[in-house]
Parts: sequence; C-alpha cells; structure tokens
Amino acid sequence: MRSMTLYVHREKGSPLHRMDPLTKLLYVFTSVIISYVLADHLSVLLVLAVSISLLIAGKVARFILPIISVSFVLLASILIVQGFFHPDRATVLWEIGPITLYKEGFSIAFLILLRVLNMVCAFGVLILTTKPDELVETLIQKGLSPRFGYVLLSVLQIVPQMMTLTGKIMDSQRARGLETEGSLWVRIKSFIPLLGPVILRSLAETRERSIALEVRGFNATGKRTRLHRIQPYKYGFALKALLAVVLLSVIVWRIWS
Amino acid sequence: MSHLRVEQLKYRYPNQTGLALDGITFTVNKGEFIGIAGSNTAGKTTLCHAICGLVPHFFKGAYGGRVLIDGNEVLTSTLSDVTSKVGFIFENPFSQLSGAKFTVADEIAFGLENLGLSREEMHARIQDSLHMLGIEHIQRKNPFDLSGGQMQRLAIASVIAMKPEILVLDEPTSQLDPQGAREVFNIVEKLAIEGMTIVMAEQKMEKLAAYSDRILLLHEGKLVQDGDPSTIFSRDDLLELGVEPPIYTTIAKKYGLCRNQSNSFPVTLEELLTFEFNMPLEGLSSTSEKQSTSVIQAEELSFSYPDGQKVLHTISIGLSNEPIAIIGQNGAGKTTLVKLIKALLRPSAGRIVIDSIDAKDTTAAKLAKKVGLIFQNPDDQIFKRTVLEEVMFGPLHSGFSKEEAKKMALLQLEAVGLSDKAEENPYDVSLAERKLIGVASILAMDPEIIIFDEPTMGQDYQGKLRLKEIIADLHSKGKLVICILHDMDFVADVFGRTIVMSQGKVLFDGPTIEAFSHQDINRQAQIEQPHRFQIARLLQERRGFVNQP
Repeated sequence: MRSMTLYVHREKGSPLHRMDPLTKLLYVFTSVIISYVLADHLSVLLVLAVSISLLIAGKVARFILPIISVSFVLLASILIVQGFFHPDRATVLWEIGPITLYKEGFSIAFLILLRVLNMVCAFGVLILTTKPDELVETLIQKGLSPRFGYVLLSVLQIVPQMMTLTGKIMDSQRARGLETEGSLWVRIKSFIPLLGPVILRSLAETRERSIALEVRGFNATGKRTRLHRIQPYKYGFALKALLAVVLLSVIVWRIWS
Repeated sequence: MSHLRVEQLKYRYPNQTGLALDGITFTVNKGEFIGIAGSNTAGKTTLCHAICGLVPHFFKGAYGGRVLIDGNEVLTSTLSDVTSKVGFIFENPFSQLSGAKFTVADEIAFGLENLGLSREEMHARIQDSLHMLGIEHIQRKNPFDLSGGQMQRLAIASVIAMKPEILVLDEPTSQLDPQGAREVFNIVEKLAIEGMTIVMAEQKMEKLAAYSDRILLLHEGKLVQDGDPSTIFSRDDLLELGVEPPIYTTIAKKYGLCRNQSNSFPVTLEELLTFEFNMPLEGLSSTSEKQSTSVIQAEELSFSYPDGQKVLHTISIGLSNEPIAIIGQNGAGKTTLVKLIKALLRPSAGRIVIDSIDAKDTTAAKLAKKVGLIFQNPDDQIFKRTVLEEVMFGPLHSGFSKEEAKKMALLQLEAVGLSDKAEENPYDVSLAERKLIGVASILAMDPEIIIFDEPTMGQDYQGKLRLKEIIADLHSKGKLVICILHDMDFVADVFGRTIVMSQGKVLFDGPTIEAFSHQDINRQAQIEQPHRFQIARLLQERRGFVNQP
C-alpha cells in the first residue's frame, strides 16, 4: 500500500487491535503525562515497560524498532548534550581521554531518553494497531468536523502520491539537460525547476479534486451519515475510567508528596 | 417535458475576453445518449461543466441564457442540488478519488454519506454499483493501488451509486491505455442500454457514432449542428472544424459507399459492412524512405527494479534509419527501454551504445544534445512564466548561449505552430498546446535522436496532424525518431517499422504491415489491430465465407 499509514494488519487481530481507538488515544495521553509527572527513573521505566508489554500483547513490538531508530539521532544528541554539558556537572562518571561524562547530566539525559522512548512506544500502541480511517471515523462520530477529518485522512494518501510525482518531474527535467546529481551547488540550482512543477501540478490537481468533491456532494448542507458503525467496545468504559483514575491519582500523589 | 433543456447559453470564464460558449440551445429527453464532438478548444468541457452546474457556481464568470434540469434552473439552484441530479465524470481518474478513503467500497460510500443515506441503503447501493461496474473483486483494495481503467470505473461507480438522473462524461478515456479505455466504454455501453440519460464528450468518434442518438457538433463555443451521427459525420467540412469522422465513414467516403435515398454515409462498422466492397491490406501502412541517422544498439539488455521486479529480459535490437514505433500493453517495458536509452536508468545487465557512446558512461543531462525524450505529461516539466522561456530552458542547460537558445526556441515554436503564444503563460494555453510546448522544448536542444512517449494521447485531429508533420520533418532532416504509442491507427499511418513488446521481451520487430498481419502476435501482446486492418480482415473473411461452396 502506497499510503503513509504505519498500521500493522494482523489476520487474527489482537486484544489491542480490538480495543476502541478512543481508549487507546486516552492511553497515549495518560502514559505520556504520567511519564512527565513522575521524576524518578524507576517509575518512568515502569511506565515504559507497560507500553512495551502492550506492544507485545498487540503483536506489533518489532514494528516499533524502525520508528525508534528514526528517533535515534534525537536520542543520541540528548545524551551527548546533557551528559557532557549539563550545568550541574560535578561527579565524573567516565573519562575517556579528553572526554568526560558527568553523572548528573547523564542521569537527566537518561530520564529524558526514557520519556521519549515511552512517548514513541505509547504512540505506537495507538498507531500500529489502529486503522487511520477508524480513528478519524471515531473522532468524527464524537464530534470532530468531517471536513477536518477529511483533511487528516487525505494527507496520508496524497503525500505519497506527490512523492511519486516528484520522481516523474525529476526525469522530465533531467531529460532537458538539468543536472541533478553532483555537487551541492548543482543540487541547489536544480531545486526550482523541480519544485516549480510539483507546486503547479499539485495546485491543478487540487482544483480538479475539489470539482470531484463538489460532484460527490461534499458541500451539501444536509445531515451526513457514516457507512461504518463503530463497534461498541465492551471494556471501553471501564478501561477509560481506570486510565482516568490512574492519571488523577498520580497527579494528586505528585502534588502531595 | 424534456429532461435537460439548454436555452441560448452564453458563458465567459473570469479574466478572459472570448466567449467559451456562445448561444447554445438544445434539449435532451429521458434515456437519450447525446454525444458532444469538436476540436480541443470547441467548448466541450465547458458545456459539460455548465450541465452539471460547475459553470457558473464553481468557475464564476459571465453567464447568460438558461440551463434547466427537470424544469429547475441551474443558475438559481445550489450546486449540491444540481449535482444530486447530474453525475459528472472527467478525464483524470486519479483526481476523482476523494483521497480520504482506504478501500474501494468506502470510496463509493463517500458521496452517499454526504447525501445522508441510511446504512442499509448505502450498503445496498454500494453492492449494486460494484456489481454493475464489475469491480466487486477489488472492493477491499486501496483506490490508489488500482490501474487507470479500474480507477475510472470506480469513479463511475461512485457517481452512479448517487443515482443521478443524467450522467455527464467528459472524455472519460482520454488518459487511459487501450485496455482501460475498453473497460470504461463497455460500462458506458451497458449504462446506455439500461436507459440512463447520458451526455458524453469524446475524441474517439467511432465510439460516439456507435452509442449516440444525437451528436452536438461544437466549434469555437458555438453549436454548429445538432443531428444524428450519420448526418453529422457525413458533413464535408468536418475536418475544417477539427473533427475527424469515424474511420468507417472515411473509408465509405473513399469508396463512395453512400446511401442513395438520404445521401449519408455509414458511421459504424456494422453499417459499413452492409456494403459490398473490397479493401486490400496493401498500402494500409506507411513506408518511409530510409535516411542515414544516429544508431542505437541495445545488446543483451536487462533491467530489474531494486525490489527485484524484472522489467526487461535480455533485449537486443538496433534502432536506426527510419521512424520506429514501439507498441505493447502497459507494463510491457516500453517506457523502461526508452529511459535506459536516455540514461535515466542504468541497465542491470547488457549495454546500450549510442553512436559509440556507452549510455552508462554518461548522464541524462549530458545526453541532452544527443537524445531528446519527450514525456507524456508536459505538466511534469513546465514552470517558467512564458512559453518562450520554457522552451529556452533545455538549450540553456545544454550549453547554448542565450541568443542561440532564443533562436532555437523561436524556430521550434514555429514548427509546432505556437509562435503567436510565445509570450503567454504556459498554463493559460490548452493541455494539447502544452504537449506541443513539451515537444518544442526538447526539439530546441536539436538532439540527434528524438523519443516520444505517447504523443497522441489527448490530441485531437489537428494535434495528430501536426505531430505527423513534425515526425516527417525530423526524419527528412536525418534525425532518428522513436515513438511509444497506444494509438494503432497512428502507428499504421506514420511508421514503416514497428517493435511489438510484451512482458519485457521483443515479440516482433519488422515492417508495420507484418506486425499487424500476425494475429497470434497481436493476441499475445494484447494489442488491437488498427481499424483499417480490422475492416480489411472482416471483408476477407466474408469473401472467404461466400466463396466456400
């Protein structure tokens, strides 16, 4: 499929695939907030462990790895900046030649790292096990504007189409003698001849698509219906209530202690 | 009462001086099939837009006269009221997808949800239209993963499901390959038989003649004539109006096969075959004088994409001396072959030598003066403010001075007949003209070898005529012309040598007349014979049948 979704289909489903998108959305929210409310490593590690076990329960754990590796640069830079240059640096952790790693900085960096990892994993719980159209569908039925929902979904499909288009445009301009390979300066010079047609074609396509949308009654003012009934999720209420209670108690505990 | 009534309709686009529609009057009754014929600037699309309310509601501009649907005036109705009665399908299948649905069935539901139908009704209608369009087997697929023909059928299914009273089709097959076009026309025929009121603008006159009860002949925004197909296509001034009659009518005119009482010519194959005549196969395809040109030699050439998908299987061919057509189904490897020649791709094995230059030792940009490749869609390259600057882009990037580039550009604009548009914005001229800008912008680099990828797509009679002239002119100047084509009539008319490709291999390479005479090759490559060949074959078969005791 040439769309930008990260959804992983599982033939037999999983407890997480069956869970309703709103509960999962609330989980993401709760998990991320708690990981920031709590300040000690062990608790945050625990929160992360919950997210990871959910991923395992959803049979999608290995699909989170590519996403983590994409965020690796960010994580590594946090470690370096905090570990070496944190203003409270005092206790030396390691010394390798001229490079000194301090314990205080490393501790903070490690906490941030755990939080970011948890954020990625918690979002993974939602994104890897929820079809984007089901998520948006649920939000629309809960009151999100259908137009905004349309925008969210169409971006997922239309952006990859634009990438294909860019490939065609590149071929066309190279056929006219535009050099796109070589030094940085050569590449910079080729930017406008490539970008120009991409923008102009996207505009033309947008116009055509808006005609198609008009024809399909997108601007009709009557009440809309939806094809898919959102399957009621048996444990939805209980789980959402549980998440809310956990979130509240953590916050209350944090304020009191 | 007539279903659709157009009275003295006049329309001018915003910021334009001329009228796009000028005093058009006609009526359409329930169940009628109305064809719209005319050249590319005749006003066909604008008329389609006016019937489904996009003119004036979407495009604005100056509007006069009336369009009435079931007695309701389009101008005073809302656009969604009009579109609930009139379904509209246009050329580009891709931009008709909503873009927000992930399966074919959900895509059909998009319009139904906007209409506010109940779930049961939606499911019933989706199943009906999937069935009618023959796309049930792909209902779980992502719409963006479909072929052009399937996408266009999905677009029709989505509109049909909304149960419009009138269906307006604006050149629904002009951007499809022959297979896709066949799929769509089969559907159109089915809908017409089932009694749907249809208005269709189309360049393929054979189809218009076969389906239409009446044809509206447009020229420069005016309705020249409203009549039955045989009256319209028997007109003597048709070519001057930029419309080529169906090939059957052309043949009938050539052989004087005219119905005595009405003085009209046959317009369909069935009508033509009611006459007794003989048409030999000889002389049905062109032969051109050989010239000495550049030589392309492909040696044991193979190509696979990085994902392992093999597109070309050890091809060895030599290309030189005369215009050459390359034909075959989508996916046969035609475009890959020419991209390899142009060094846009690198062969996985084997090599291509162009006049002693090995294509792998150079880049597409460096080859610009040697090999010019003209792509299907000119909008993939156009970005300058004026037509002239656009055409100068290539020469400027391949080492010509500014003066030389300008001189070359003006010369080529003249050759494609666009001298008077040099200072206009490329996006203000028609798509067919932009295609010619694409041609000029490659020819301005004065390459030795010129490769066209699908140049006839979306061109009307005049455009094709112009292309024929350009190809003949290039050949006479000693240039090697190679052309990828789906339009078999054009192949037979223009090219002496044809290469038939199928599944990454060369099935046939030789004289065009032989390429189309081997029926097994045609079948294997899934290509249609040119219309003239089909007629000649039918006549032969008929004679064979008669001669048998």
